[in-house]
Amino acid sequence: MWTRYLLLVSLFFPGYSFAQNATISGFIKDNSSGETIKGAVVQSLTDKTSVITNNYGYFSLKLSDGKHDIKISSKDFENLETTLTIAENESINKNFFLKPEIEEIEEVNVRAKRNDNVKKIDISTQSITGKVIKKIPAFLGEADVIKSIQLLPGVTTVGEGASGFNVRGGSIDQNLVLMDEAPIFNSAHLFGFFSIFNPDAVKDVQLVKGGIPANYGGRLSSVLDVITKDGNNKKYQANGGIGTIFSRGSIEGPIAKDKASFIIAGRRSYIDVLAKPFLNDDLSGSRFYFYDLTAKVNYETAKDRFFLSTYIGDDIFYAANAFGVKWGNSTVTGRWNHVYNDKWFSNVTYYYSRYRYNLEFSNGDDLSFNWTSYINNNSLKADFTYFANPKNQIGFGGQSTYYIFTPGNAIATNSAGTNNFSLPNKYALENAIYLTEDFNANGRFSIRAGLRVSQFLYLGKSKVYSYQDPIADGQRRFVDSIWEVGSNGVIANYINPEPRLGFKYQLNRFSSVKGGYNRMVQNLHLISNTAASVPFDVWQPSTNNILPEKADQYTIGYFRNFSIGKQDFESSIETYYKDLQNQVDYVDGANLLLNEYLEGELITGIGRAYGLELYLKKSTGKLTGWISYTLARSERKSPGINDFNWYPSRFDRLHNLYIVSQYSLNDKWDLAANFIFSSGTPTTFYSGQYTVQGYTIPDAGTNARNNIRNPNYHRLDLSVTYTKKKKGKWESNWVFSVYNAYNRRNPFSIYFDTDYENTGQNEAIQFSVIGSIVPAISYNFKWN
Amino acid sequence: MKMKSILSISLILGWVFLSSCEDIIDVQIEQKQKKIVVDAFIDNAIKTQRIRLTESIPYFDSSKTEPPVSDAQVVLADTGSFKLFNFTYKENGYYEWEPNPASGDTLQVGRNYALLIIQGGDTIVGVSRLNPTIDKIDSIRTVPVEGNGPPFIDSGKYIELFAKDRQGMGDFYWIKLFRNDTQNSRLNNLNISQDMGNNSNGQDGDYFIYPVRFNRNNEFLRPYRQDEKVRIEVYSINRETFYWFQIIQNQANNGGLFATPPVNIQSNMFMLGDHSGRGVAGFYNIGAVVGDEIIIQE
Repeated sequence: MWTRYLLLVSLFFPGYSFAQNATISGFIKDNSSGETIKGAVVQSLTDKTSVITNNYGYFSLKLSDGKHDIKISSKDFENLETTLTIAENESINKNFFLKPEIEEIEEVNVRAKRNDNVKKIDISTQSITGKVIKKIPAFLGEADVIKSIQLLPGVTTVGEGASGFNVRGGSIDQNLVLMDEAPIFNSAHLFGFFSIFNPDAVKDVQLVKGGIPANYGGRLSSVLDVITKDGNNKKYQANGGIGTIFSRGSIEGPIAKDKASFIIAGRRSYIDVLAKPFLNDDLSGSRFYFYDLTAKVNYETAKDRFFLSTYIGDDIFYAANAFGVKWGNSTVTGRWNHVYNDKWFSNVTYYYSRYRYNLEFSNGDDLSFNWTSYINNNSLKADFTYFANPKNQIGFGGQSTYYIFTPGNAIATNSAGTNNFSLPNKYALENAIYLTEDFNANGRFSIRAGLRVSQFLYLGKSKVYSYQDPIADGQRRFVDSIWEVGSNGVIANYINPEPRLGFKYQLNRFSSVKGGYNRMVQNLHLISNTAASVPFDVWQPSTNNILPEKADQYTIGYFRNFSIGKQDFESSIETYYKDLQNQVDYVDGANLLLNEYLEGELITGIGRAYGLELYLKKSTGKLTGWISYTLARSERKSPGINDFNWYPSRFDRLHNLYIVSQYSLNDKWDLAANFIFSSGTPTTFYSGQYTVQGYTIPDAGTNARNNIRNPNYHRLDLSVTYTKKKKGKWESNWVFSVYNAYNRRNPFSIYFDTDYENTGQNEAIQFSVIGSIVPAISYNFKWN
Repeated sequence: MKMKSILSISLILGWVFLSSCEDIIDVQIEQKQKKIVVDAFIDNAIKTQRIRLTESIPYFDSSKTEPPVSDAQVVLADTGSFKLFNFTYKENGYYEWEPNPASGDTLQVGRNYALLIIQGGDTIVGVSRLNPTIDKIDSIRTVPVEGNGPPFIDSGKYIELFAKDRQGMGDFYWIKLFRNDTQNSRLNNLNISQDMGNNSNGQDGDYFIYPVRFNRNNEFLRPYRQDEKVRIEVYSINRETFYWFQIIQNQANNGGLFATPPVNIQSNMFMLGDHSGRGVAGFYNIGAVVGDEIIIQE
C-alpha cells in the first residue's frame, strides 16, 4: 500500500525509469574499527550515478546490468575503487570498508574527492568529526564539541561561561541538541566552560542551520546532531587524558568480532579531590565536581542492527552546611535498524531523556530550602527510507513524545515549620509525521522537498489560567479566571504544517548553488531573562497562553572548491533571512521563579535575523583549518518594549571572524592557533537617577532596550602538541596550551550599581569572566 | 580554622572561574530626560503628611542633590466625596498637609485617593487605594545568632518580627525598619510582602514567613547592640507599589553572567498631555500603618 503511494509521489518527478534494475546495497564502514560512516558517497562511474549513505551508514544504489567501476569516498578516509559485475535484476548486498586517511596522502586522490560539499544537496550544514574536534585547542587544552561548533560561521555565543550557543540570531533554546537522537536540554558543564559530550565517545557532529530536512523538528534555529561511536568491533582500544581540570577515559572493543561491540567513556573533574587536604571542620563534606558517563552497545545481523546507548552526567557544587547546586541530563536510547530488502531501510528509536536540577540551602541546623525541577520525556519514533531509484529517495516517518514538566518542587523549612512553594506538574504530548523526497533530476539539479506536520497537545491534569488584558502594552497581565482540567484532558491543541525545501544546482565539478527554505515550530520554551542562561531556567510547554514559536528561514549559497598549487580549498558564501513569530519576551521586572502566574509575566513578540556567512577551509597539507566570517543581525520587537520598535537581541553581534589553524611541523610536533573576533553585544544603559523614600533609583530615560554596545571581544589561543613515538600499542601526546594568549580582559557585560557600603555613588562596572591568560597542560593517551 | 576553609574554598572556586573580574570604568552618558520625580508615600496616621517633588539628575552625578521643585500645586482628592486636601510647600521640595480629625480632614481605609500635581504647565495625576494593614505587630523578638564571621554573618543579636498577615489573599505590605530612629534605605533590607511572603503561593492569614520575618529586618554584618532602638512599621501598599518595589530591588546588584536586562522603571503618576515632554518618575502610594518598637537588652 505504502509502496504504491510512494511510487505515486515519485511520479510527480520526471525521469523515474531507466534500464537500471539491478541493485547494490549495504553499509559503508571504517576498516579499522567497524564504525559505520554516514555521508559517504557511493558512485557508479559507469552509470554516472551516486548515492549518499544515511545516518546509519546504509546505502542502496540501482545499477544497470554489466560491469561497474564503483568508487566510494568519504571525508577522512581513503577512496575505495572497485569493480563488480552485476546481472539483470540481481541484488547484491555487500558492506564496504574504507581505510582511514593518514596525513601524507597522495594529492591525486585528495583532489578527486574534495567535492562532496559541492555535490551534496545539504545547505547550511557543517559536519565535524571527533578527530577534527580533538585538534582544536579549547579552554584548558580540552577538546570540546560545543566550543568547536562556536567557531563555525553563523554560530555565536553571548560570552565565555555562557551555556549553549546561538545560531543565526536564534536563542539558545532554539537549537535541537541531540545525542544519539535523544534531546539534551542543557549541554553545559561548569556553567558552559565545557560541554557534556565526551570527545572520546563522539563519532560525528553535524550542525544544520538552514534548509532543515523534514525528519527534524521541534526547534526553530538549528539541529546539532551528535552521534556517538558504536565501539570498535575488531579489537580492543582505550583512550584517555589527564587534564588540568578533569580526566577522561574510554574503552571500546568487540563483544563478538564484527557482530557486536561496546564503548564506555567517562570523565570526572577533580577540583574537590585536590582540595580535600585544605578542607577541614564543617566544610570537609564539600564536593565540587562534574562527571559524565557515555556507554553504548550494538549488535548486528545480516538484516538488523540494534543499539543501546546511555548518557548520565551531573554538575555538583555542594558546600557542606551552606548550599548545594546540582544539574544534569540523563538519556537512554534504543535503536533498531532493519534492512527489508535492497530498497527499504528502517530505523525505530525509543528514547528517554531527562534534565534535572536541584538547589538547596541549609544552615546545617533548622533552616533549609530545597528546590528540584525536572523535564522528562519518553519518545517513540520510526523512520523509513525507500530507495526508489538513483533519482528518487523517499523518507517518511513519525514520532510521538510524552513530556512531564516539573517546574519546581520547593520546600522551605525553619523553626516555625514548613512552607511548600511547589508548582504542580505540566503534561504534554507532541506528535509529528513527515514525508521527504530527494529528487535528483540529473547530475546537475536536485531537489529535496518535505512536509512535516506537528501536533502539540497541552494536557491535564492541570489548573488552567486565563489572563486579563494588560493595563498597557508590555505590562504584567493579571489572572482573570482559573479552572481545573482533569487527567489527559486537552487544554490546548496546536497543529502546524511545516514545509521544507532544498535545492542544488551544480554549475560544474567544483561549484554549485544551493538554496533552502524551512518552516520550524517550537513548543518547548526556555524561560530565561538573564544575560547568560542559568542551569535553573525552566522549560515550559506551549499552553493556552504561550503560543507555539514559529520561524521561516530562507537561505541561498554558493559553494566552490579550488586549488592554489598543491593546496586545496573549500569555500562557500551563504546568506539567510529568518522571520520569527511568537517569540517569548518578558515584562519589565518579570518574576520567573516559582511563580504560579508565570504566563502573566510573558509578552509575545516577533523577531528577524539576517546575515552573510563566508567560509574558507583547507583540510589537506601541513597547514589546515578554516576562516569563517559572519555578518549578522538579530532583532526583536515586542509590545511595550523599546516603544514597539526593533531592538537588537542580547546575542546580536554584527561582525564575527574566526580563524582556526593547525600546523603539523613533523611527526612529533603540531602547532595550533585560534583567533576570535566578535562585535560587542548590546546592553541597556542608565542615564539618570533619582531618590524616592531614600532609595536611589536608576532611570533609563526612555523605553530603549539594548541601546548601547559592550566593547568588542577578541582572543587568541595557542597550543603545542608533542606526540611521542608509538611504543607497541601505546600512543600518547602532551598538549601545552595558552588560552587568551595576549591577556585581554574581554568584557562579558557592563552593568550599573550603587556602592552602598562605601561611597554611595553610582558606578559602571565592567565584568569579565576571564580576565587573564590561562595556561594549561594535558596528557592524552591511546592504547590499541 | 573555619576562616581558613572558607578561604580555601574561595581560592578553589576562584581557580575554577579563574580570573573572573570586575573593573570600575568610566562611561560617558548623556542624561536623556530630566524628569519630575514624585515621592509620595503617605498614610492615614494623624500626623504631618509629606510629599516631595524633585528633578532627576545624571546617573553619574556624585553630588546626589536633586534640585527641589518648589512651585507646584499639590492636591489630594478623595474620589468618593470629592473632598480636597491641599499640600503646601515648606522647603527642599517638601509639601505638607496636617490631618484634622475635628473637621473630618482624615484619610479613610478602603477609599481611593487621587493625587494631582500642577507645575510648569503640566498636570500630573495618579490614583492609589488606601488598603488596610495588619491589625497589630505581635512582637519583635531578639535572637542570638552564632555566625562564621565575614563574609557570611557576624555573631550577635538579630531580630525577628512576629505579625500576622490579614485574612484573605491579595494583601501587600512594605515593612519599614528604623534603627535608632533612622530609616533603613538599603535595597538589601527592602522588606515587601505579598500576603505572608515574597510570592503569595496561597499562603494566607498567618505569621509572616522567614525572609520577611528575619532576613530583611537585619543588616548585613551589623548585629544589634545593647540599648539600640529598633522600630518596625507595617505599611499597606497597593499591588502596583509592590511590583514597583520588586523592580527597583532587582536592579540592585544586577550584574555578571546572570544579570537581567535593566528596565525602565515606570511611575504610577501620569502626565496629562505632557507639554514639557520631560516625563514623570517616582511613585505614589497611600496606606495604613501599624508599628512597634523595642530596645535591645543584654
